[in-house]
Amino acid sequence: MTLVRLEHISKTFRQGDIEVHALTDINLQVEEGEFAALVGPSGSGKTTLLNIIGGLDSPTDGRVHLNGTDVTALNESQLSDFRLFQLGFVFQAYNLVPVLSALENVELIMVLQGRPESERRERARHYLDLVGLGKVMERRPSALSGGQQQRVAVARALASGPRLVLADEPTANLDSDNATALLDIMHKLSHEEKTTFLFSTHDPRVMERAERIIQLRDGKIEHDKVIADVQAQ
Amino acid sequence: MSPSSVQDLSGSRLRIFLFMAWRNLWRYPVRSLLTVCALSGGLAMVIFNASLMTGMTRQMVVYATEVSTGHIQVHRQAFADDQDLYATLPWPWLEAIEADFPQLHVAPRLYAAGLASTTETSTGVMIRAVDAERERAVTRMLGQVRQGEVALGVIDETEQGIARYGVAVGAQLARNMRLAPGDELVLVTQAADGSIGNALFVVTAVLNPMELNFDRMGVVMSLEAYRQLMFLEEGFHELAILLDDLDQLEAIQMALQDKLALLEQQTPLDEWGGPVQVRNWKELNPAVSEMLAVSNSMTLIIGLIIVALASLGMLNTMLMAVHERTREFGILMAIGMKKHWLLVMVLLEALCLSLLSAVIGALLGSWLGLRMEDTGIDFSDMMPDGYDWGGIIFEPVMKGWLEPSHVLYASLMMIVVALLASLIPSWRSIRLKPVEAMR
Ligand SMILES: Nc1ncnc2c1ncn2[C@@H]1O[C@H](COP(=O)(O)OP(=O)(O)OP(=O)(O)O)[C@@H](O)[C@H]1O
Ligand SMILES: [Mg+2]
Repeated sequence: MTLVRLEHISKTFRQGDIEVHALTDINLQVEEGEFAALVGPSGSGKTTLLNIIGGLDSPTDGRVHLNGTDVTALNESQLSDFRLFQLGFVFQAYNLVPVLSALENVELIMVLQGRPESERRERARHYLDLVGLGKVMERRPSALSGGQQQRVAVARALASGPRLVLADEPTANLDSDNATALLDIMHKLSHEEKTTFLFSTHDPRVMERAERIIQLRDGKIEHDKVIADVQAQ
Repeated sequence: MSPSSVQDLSGSRLRIFLFMAWRNLWRYPVRSLLTVCALSGGLAMVIFNASLMTGMTRQMVVYATEVSTGHIQVHRQAFADDQDLYATLPWPWLEAIEADFPQLHVAPRLYAAGLASTTETSTGVMIRAVDAERERAVTRMLGQVRQGEVALGVIDETEQGIARYGVAVGAQLARNMRLAPGDELVLVTQAADGSIGNALFVVTAVLNPMELNFDRMGVVMSLEAYRQLMFLEEGFHELAILLDDLDQLEAIQMALQDKLALLEQQTPLDEWGGPVQVRNWKELNPAVSEMLAVSNSMTLIIGLIIVALASLGMLNTMLMAVHERTREFGILMAIGMKKHWLLVMVLLEALCLSLLSAVIGALLGSWLGLRMEDTGIDFSDMMPDGYDWGGIIFEPVMKGWLEPSHVLYASLMMIVVALLASLIPSWRSIRLKPVEAMR
């Protein structure tokens, strides 16, 4: 089943008199359960595309359909709810609220969702266990390593029960061991939780983990290939 | 699609926002504590200032009423306007009022101008005749003795068999005429029958400065002595009335008016003395009541200025707190935090700061105010004896008066102003779109 469908997406940024065509006529479908990487050189439009899919930015042209909803037609408040209930986000760094512990950070999103307290606690512990942080749940972000912080962010994204997790360069601030470890966790959870992942990266070792690689260049899709042998695992 | 809007700010959301706000407050404890110091210090100053001002105005009211005026006075028009010697009220009216209003303290008075002489000097004086017993229940006039002991009855007789009555005189008058208790004083006046009235008196007491004019020219004698001096057989010029409960002022004034109207119907007065007037101390002393109003609004304005200045600290703190968390707010909005929730969270932080400051400031201010009630500030070294302001003589020790409602209002004012000051930064926190905030 198709989860994300992009139709003729274009994005033009205006800076004074200069127009930057960040994306031009992007057509793309992401199927449910995919673990897809968005790659391409700096400035190719990866962040812009992820932001548009996540309803954080609106395209200049074209439509975004996600799980049957026309994202481009939602107002600000609907978008906010849409992100809260349908999407999970992992950003490059500083994902977490510094004054809350890892556990509280994961719980926070479920508080926003209005889930009951007992369910919150249980789910938060469960996902922190899954990302291997069962022992450090009570620590605040400042007492966690960069890799651990990103894993908390992954746990938070999944705990909200999203259809799609969007991750913009989740490993950019990590050394390559931590980067591949984070990717392995994301990959495993994508299968176990049957959650679709779309992430961007520069890192060749991270790309190796992807089941599909969408290559962007100058705001256009250059290649889009499903890597069969990874999917077969 | 938006179950979150159903129970929008449910208990657990508010609880976690409050929890985050509180934790954020102590992320930079020094900064928060400085803000609390500024706000609570400002509030304490406001409360302290209000207690000083209240103490001062209360003293002024006491001076304007209990020293010699009383709370309500009754005159006839011609006496009020021109000190007309003949514009008297009949004595039975005093008894009628005392019978009808047993809760009031009532003192009758008579007045005249005269010339006082000793063997060395003479000067114009203001004669005030009182019923010592009733007067003591209404004013402190006879209680503020500097020298001697007030005795207004017959002291002795001269060799010619003329009775000498006792009088009390103002301090300034005593100084000018070099009078001391025991000295003889001759008073000469124009009596009621047109003749020259004169008599010998003995100074029994020198009174402390209370009213400017009285201090310079006042001579107090008994009603009996006055009648003999002035050949005025009947009545009184003035009725000074003291209430135990000042809240009743207007009601009692009206009731007295009605009662006097009734008395006037029963015993009509002569025409040229004019109608009876019942005025309260504010009407008798408009300068004082205006000064009270001015000092009340001054207290409010000073309070607002101090609180507004202290709130600048709040503004700065919240601006910094919001600015350094721009990215955090961007991420929160991106994952689905609504803007108005964010606003609530930031305002809760400001509320925590201002509530904390309000409690500390109110306690500190009340403590200072209570200390002022106890000890006060002694200005007696700096003020000349009988220092006056608008004819009212000040007590050299300034005492505070802590009004609980002032503490409450000042604290509320501080909380409201501090929250208003934090609205601007809070607004900035949600003005950005999430991607802009995260950049
Ligand atoms: N807010 C903006 N205003 C103007 N131009 C922008 C803005 N955001 C992005 N761009 C431009 O759009 C193009 C795409 O940017 P984008 O951030 O999507 O690239 P990217 O692939 O994520 O790059 P990187 O790998 O460096 O993160 C770039 O040329 C960039 O300069
Ligand atoms: Mg990018």
